[in-house]
Amino acid sequence: MKTKFLLALLAVSFVGTAAAQVKPEEAIKFRQSGYTFMAWNMGRIKMNVEGQYNKEEVIKAANAIQAIANSGMGALYLPGTDKGKGWEDTRVKPELFTNKEGVGKVAGAFVKEANEMAKVAATGDAAAAKEQFGKLGGTCKGCHDDFKIKK
Amino acid sequence: MNSTRTRVLIWDRPTRIFHWLLAASVVAAHVSGELGGNLIDWHARLGLLVVGLIVFRLVWGVVGSTYARFDHFFPTPAKLRAYLKGDWRGHGHNPLGAFSVFALLGVLAVQVGSGLFANDDIAFYGPLYDLVDQKLSNRLTGLHHLSGKVLLLLIGLHIGAIAFYAHVKKDNLVKPMLTGWKEADHGESAKGGGLLALLLALGLAAAAVYGASGAWLPEPPPPPPAAETPNW
Repeated sequence: MKTKFLLALLAVSFVGTAAAQVKPEEAIKFRQSGYTFMAWNMGRIKMNVEGQYNKEEVIKAANAIQAIANSGMGALYLPGTDKGKGWEDTRVKPELFTNKEGVGKVAGAFVKEANEMAKVAATGDAAAAKEQFGKLGGTCKGCHDDFKIKK
Repeated sequence: MNSTRTRVLIWDRPTRIFHWLLAASVVAAHVSGELGGNLIDWHARLGLLVVGLIVFRLVWGVVGSTYARFDHFFPTPAKLRAYLKGDWRGHGHNPLGAFSVFALLGVLAVQVGSGLFANDDIAFYGPLYDLVDQKLSNRLTGLHHLSGKVLLLLIGLHIGAIAFYAHVKKDNLVKPMLTGWKEADHGESAKGGGLLALLLALGLAAAAVYGASGAWLPEPPPPPPAAETPNW
């Protein structure tokens, strides 16, 4: 019993230190960088589904988005980082830190569609990629609408 | 009394077509903007259509027929006083309703104007995004969202006022906007706004859409040839 408790305590403090290694300012920078990098890749997919379709380009872009979507970026929303400056002032709404259920829902939808985007990209089907791109963009919007300050 | 009733032409055909096209495109733009996804492309097209409609109406407000002209319904203090005392006997937009018209046109102009430079932080960029830096684009995007809410409020007020006129004042404002005609015991039918005026308004509207579409912006530099793209 005592060992279990100690182990648990150890685990908690370990996790605590692991998270504390990222400073708030860095956490916000990592967040912003992740979204900016995804924006580059969303733009690449869009260019391909609207113009001449290059299968390899779309695969690269979709895989990049999938990787970031599955990287567990939620860990970067440290307590106290609802305000602050990374590359620029964070545009997160305080609701992201309080409405856990709502965030989980939109984040889950995003990860699901990002995974699907990578799958569709691998097939090289341009029409399907276009449709999936729309769905993926819709899940970005789902979060922006509720948890991103518009300014 | 009834024997003296006549039919008065209030809204000329271009004004009516403008009105219903605007109503339909604003509804469609709102829905496509809210749904997002691939519909954002339609949202942009509808925005350009609204640019054309607004410019058309601004020109028509100068060269159109009697009741469509701004100088006919511009709400001066004297007209407002008369209206609030119940002495106003005109047709078309009443002095209070004129405020609603100008407010709707003004907010709509802000709405489409800001949208041209906006971005959605996903993959959409307004057709004139290249003319501003990202920071300004973000601020205009914020304005776009805000004025969208104001617009909904004004539209609600607009429809509410029409319902008030229909039920309380027993004055059907929708019918003249559909048929152009109103039954009244006085008043003269609208005059002016001929073919030349129509062509002028349409031409300026088309020019505005072209300007707003960014089609005149220089082409982005072509991507480097494939052979030069590194394989990492």
